[in-house]
Amino acid sequence: MISVLAIGLVLVTSLVIGVYGVRAARSTSDFLVASRRISPNWNAMAIAGEYLSAASVLGLSGLVLKNGLGTMWYAVGFTAGYVAVVALVAGPMRRSGAYTVPDFAEYRLGAPRLRKLCGCVVLVIMLLYLVPQFKGAGVVLSLVSGTPYWVGVLLAGLVVSGSIAAGGMRSATYVQAFHYVVKLAFLAIPAIYLMVHSSPDTRTQALHPEWDTRFPERTSVEFTVGTRFTLEEPVRVTTPGGGEVELGAGEHTVAEGTEYAFPEGAAIPSPVGLPELGSERWSTPLLNVGGHPLFETWSTLLAITLGCMGLPHVIMRFHTSPTARTARRVAVGVIALLGLFYLFPTVYGLLGRVLTPQLVLLQGTDTVAVVLPAQAVPGSVGTVLTALVAAGAFGAFLSTSSGLLLALAGGLSHDLFQGSVPRLRLAVAVGACVAVLLALPAQMTDINVLVVWAFTVAASTFCPLLVLGIWWRRLTLPGAAWGLIVGAVTATGAVGWSILLPTPAGWATVLLAQPAAWTIPLAFATMIVVSRVTRPPDWAEHAVLRLHSP
Amino acid sequence: MRQVHALGVDLQDGLHGRKVPAAARRLRRLLDVDGVVLADLDGPVAGNGRQPDPQEVKGLLAQVFEYGSNTRTRLTDGTSVCAVPLIVDDELSGALVASGHPVEDDVEAAAALVSDCLDHAALRRTRARIAAADLRTLRAQISPHFVHNALAVIAALVRTDPDRARHLLSDFADYLRYGFSEKGDYATLSEELEATQTYLELQRARFHDRLDITVRMAPEVLPVAVPFLVVQPIVENAIRHGLERKEGRGHISVSGFGEGPLCVIEIEDDGVGMHPELARSLLAGTGPESRSVGLANVDQRLRAVYGPEYGLVIETALGEGTKVTVRIPRFTRGVVAQ
Repeated sequence: MISVLAIGLVLVTSLVIGVYGVRAARSTSDFLVASRRISPNWNAMAIAGEYLSAASVLGLSGLVLKNGLGTMWYAVGFTAGYVAVVALVAGPMRRSGAYTVPDFAEYRLGAPRLRKLCGCVVLVIMLLYLVPQFKGAGVVLSLVSGTPYWVGVLLAGLVVSGSIAAGGMRSATYVQAFHYVVKLAFLAIPAIYLMVHSSPDTRTQALHPEWDTRFPERTSVEFTVGTRFTLEEPVRVTTPGGGEVELGAGEHTVAEGTEYAFPEGAAIPSPVGLPELGSERWSTPLLNVGGHPLFETWSTLLAITLGCMGLPHVIMRFHTSPTARTARRVAVGVIALLGLFYLFPTVYGLLGRVLTPQLVLLQGTDTVAVVLPAQAVPGSVGTVLTALVAAGAFGAFLSTSSGLLLALAGGLSHDLFQGSVPRLRLAVAVGACVAVLLALPAQMTDINVLVVWAFTVAASTFCPLLVLGIWWRRLTLPGAAWGLIVGAVTATGAVGWSILLPTPAGWATVLLAQPAAWTIPLAFATMIVVSRVTRPPDWAEHAVLRLHSP
Repeated sequence: MRQVHALGVDLQDGLHGRKVPAAARRLRRLLDVDGVVLADLDGPVAGNGRQPDPQEVKGLLAQVFEYGSNTRTRLTDGTSVCAVPLIVDDELSGALVASGHPVEDDVEAAAALVSDCLDHAALRRTRARIAAADLRTLRAQISPHFVHNALAVIAALVRTDPDRARHLLSDFADYLRYGFSEKGDYATLSEELEATQTYLELQRARFHDRLDITVRMAPEVLPVAVPFLVVQPIVENAIRHGLERKEGRGHISVSGFGEGPLCVIEIEDDGVGMHPELARSLLAGTGPESRSVGLANVDQRLRAVYGPEYGLVIETALGEGTKVTVRIPRFTRGVVAQ
């Protein structure tokens, strides 16, 4: 209940800031204050607030728990993305005056049709990014209110589109900056409390992942989904009816809805296909799902780092900076803020491995940050901490998804249906509906798998467009268009295949699940080759010059 | 017919456009000759096919430009070269040279066609210049209006409150520098707001602080490029026609925020308002002469820059105050604050 209250409080506060929090001046002497531009620090906080999504707040700690230490590379990538943004696009993008990537494409290559194509890519990226946000919100809401998952997702959709309709994003900068504080504080305070108040044993175990993994106490596990797992040694579990079932060593299949209580000290069963908790595969600092850790790590890192600059809602935030110089300063500030934030998801992941290992069995590792506090500190303190984390996670969902929804709706109403009277609110509603519908079947998919999908598509489409558009004057319209098409189709197709269809074994699995390492070079190559054989527009020289002249 | 139409497209930027070589190739095919040269008064600009000796062409062109009539010479290898002047708008402006076995009548007809295309190109350029000039005129139209008001206010204060008059004069100077700057047609919204501020400062002096002002600006829209003097005329309209005639205190609020790819600026006053019909006729430019300057002008310029769907929206009723909404894209190609 207190969690619901905390979430409501975050929501109401953001709405109030959104509608009334714009700097108001009541006399003319304040007029100049009101019209003075926002400081880079505020802006950096706003960007960080919009950027830290459910993937960071919930997904990352879940992945650490489930797939091991290698997943910390995600945090590295999410932060390092801004290094690429500072170095390559922040300044020139600001100088171009372009607000979105389609704007930039039109500025640089001057073709309405390319603008439409970019609009389509924006839609794909935004939807891929929105679905995991709604999934995260659905999970959190259903967890704290006890409703089924679909109610949570539906509620999340209503809340975010309602808050946009109520004008909640009018002063987006302040709302997003507020959300950064909410996310940082509400995740950091429980994390620090948990670290201080967990027993020395727990801390030692958390820092030594190869420690044997056994249930720390008698743990009741309710399987919300059918699961297959293997047992090292036979164990006697208790059912809710009071009966006892003997599970032998080997593989077991459990139907949905089963509830088993494992005795204290029993070895934790490991689900089929996942690295065993604490095993060498778990503690190696590389991503390893398909058996080629080095390639997977590099590919993911590339996707996230380069994808960041292609995310439409990231790029448009630099428009707020008055000059290219401040745009770069803002990006540097974002790196610092993100670096600070990413300390904490790891804490949840490592502590979760010790205290809530059953989540791996339930395929519910995305919830670890919310479940952990109550598990670690029973009683009212735990409830309050849970409420904090839930509110922080909800803030993450709210800020990111409203930013995403607005970008998506903007793309729909402005880029794809140019000329008609912009019906932004309708587009927001449509976007939210589609995202909710897509999020319903996504309950079992990890948040970060979907988020990395979005990053991969962004890295294989807008990253080459922006980098070449800014740094290479010979880029042509057909080159850009073909590069976008090739990048979008290969990246979307490959990841989609690996999630939705059975994949062939061996290298193909890795190449399909982590395609960035080949789709990004492919998109770059297509743009360069096609541009070589076609003519750049007359004004290319002039347009590129303006991007770089101070 | 298709070839003739394509020729028109190739020559749409005049004799110095990018596609002139393509036009020369098309002319060679149309005339079925060995080579074609297009020349302006300074000499050849584009050629296609087998070219005659440059000296030969030069001599031929000199002859054409001197007498303004067709010239033909026979070459040693049995072919001949024919040069026909291009007359655009009754002025000699170039020549079409065909070599091989040209039929003089055909070359003449082709030259007439090319001349027409060049004439169209010139007209198109003129039209663009006129549109730009229109924009500048519209901009200039606003200033005298305000200059008069401001000077009147300052004049009234010179004796009673010289300090304030001095401040206002310097404000006024700032405003003039902004309004008359030749930097371009666009400014950032924050510069526009500063200009509005100086204006409001001058108006408050007139109203003896009967005027309350609220400004709410979301910082993310401040760097947006807007046409010069878009906010100020609306504020001026609100004061002149809404608040001036109202008894007691008046309130005016200016707010700006982002709405996805759009930037929205709302100017609201609690003045006397107007009849919705009047508002409609003002925007249509058919309103009474005295009031037709401000709003219609802004509306027209916004439409000219952003397209017909981005005009002003006025919500008003008699006695209910007025709310004017400007809704423009945050980015439009070519709209850049200097």
